[in-house]
Amino acid sequence: MRVMVDLARCQSYGQCVFAAPEIFEISGQEVLEYDSAPSDEWRLHALRARAACPVQAITIGPAAGPGQDLRQPPATRPAADSVGVLR
Amino acid sequence: MSKSTGVASRPVSVSDVSTPRAELFARVLDPASRANPYPLYAALRSEPVSRQSDGTWVVSGFDEIAALLHDPRISSDMTNAGQSAGGQSLIMQDPPNHDRLRAAVMGRFTPEVVESLRQEVHNLIDGLLDAVGSGTSLDLVEEIAYPLPVSVICALLGIPPQDEARFHGWADTLARTLDLDPTMSREEQAAIDHAFTELHHYLENLVADRAEHRGDDLVSGLLTGGDRGEPLRGQELLITVRLLLIAGHETTVNLITNGMLTLLRHPDILERFRREPELVVPMVEELVRYEPSVQFRYRAALADIEIAGTTIPRGSVVVLLLAAGSRDPGHFTDPDSFVPDRIPNEHFGFGGGIHYCIGAPLARMEAQIVLPELVRRLINPRLTMDPPPYRPTAALRGPRHLWIEVDGIRP
Repeated sequence: MRVMVDLARCQSYGQCVFAAPEIFEISGQEVLEYDSAPSDEWRLHALRARAACPVQAITIGPAAGPGQDLRQPPATRPAADSVGVLR
Repeated sequence: MSKSTGVASRPVSVSDVSTPRAELFARVLDPASRANPYPLYAALRSEPVSRQSDGTWVVSGFDEIAALLHDPRISSDMTNAGQSAGGQSLIMQDPPNHDRLRAAVMGRFTPEVVESLRQEVHNLIDGLLDAVGSGTSLDLVEEIAYPLPVSVICALLGIPPQDEARFHGWADTLARTLDLDPTMSREEQAAIDHAFTELHHYLENLVADRAEHRGDDLVSGLLTGGDRGEPLRGQELLITVRLLLIAGHETTVNLITNGMLTLLRHPDILERFRREPELVVPMVEELVRYEPSVQFRYRAALADIEIAGTTIPRGSVVVLLLAAGSRDPGHFTDPDSFVPDRIPNEHFGFGGGIHYCIGAPLARMEAQIVLPELVRRLINPRLTMDPPPYRPTAALRGPRHLWIEVDGIRP
């Protein structure tokens, strides 16, 4: 699974840390740190974090293979949001 | 018995609203508008920053609300608009005092603390649904939505189980103060004053006890302080604990009740939700956009503020009509439709800026547990009255009762 945060949008509300502490952390100076390639084990938590973000800065996609452009938004990949129930 | 008629989801037309624009917010406050205030909000949004005839400024556009939520010239301390001090809790204060109090709470209201309540919420909803027994009708408010959040807050604050019944009584009475009922009798007013005094004494004793015997509850945590927050003491601690009790209660009652009401008005979505339990994650977010527990918040202008082609004068009362911003067609596609998997969904259901709801993670968790359990266990639930009777308060909006008929309760 691939997780991306638009840091230009992020305002450090910290809701993602509550939803998915395995992926997101806010350090002392309100700087967000996150695991951009977390285990699929945390998929539900990642979806909770994406939904809870007050500025909707989080995107979730399938794990990127070698040579793929990590910056490509998930919307261009049909599989991205249909992994589970979110059509 | 009426079928689900979908009052709140009916397409809204501004032409339905013939009130002069400067009188629209007075109609929002009128309890007669409580079941469906959204056409009034749509009419207000045609002028996203609108001066009302009483001098109040109502802000109803998404962009304008977002701007003012982050504007340091907007104050939460209503004494800046000539109003009497409404208690000194952190939601009525500005930086730096607000920041200090908020840091104290946030330092102790951690992801671990919220997560530690998950099993408690499961146990509570199980027990409350078991208690409905073999009945075929229930009042969701009285029997489920009302008792559950009080018990969660008691667990959070470390209230001993034997004291919980008294807490329910106080919460019940304090909720009535939100109704601002001008016809309230002297006896009712006295009962409310009495509840306030009793709660105050109870909390004083609780704090004194925790000062001596620290536990792993939030009150002990606030007394101790943490990495990011200094310890709270005395009146500040009492006022903060009381805020958590009041703010965390009524809003969660309404989230659960509005959630079930909305699902029962959308049988197709209810069916889909049965098949796709994970839908609850984006759906709870859509609920707080579509039927938010907090419809608006009051603020005070600290300076002349130019916005949307007009100027809000210094000292004005400003209404941030969050629920209107969350239905702004300039920001949301098909805003008056309930779309359970709306993504992205950047709404004001939990406010925004420095006062963003502290309890949002707990509210989400409670709703994400309770709604699937209700849908799983209630067999063929039907609304018996639509719209249901509402509490009169406009800012904290929700049904007073939600009567539901069922064919039974699954184990």
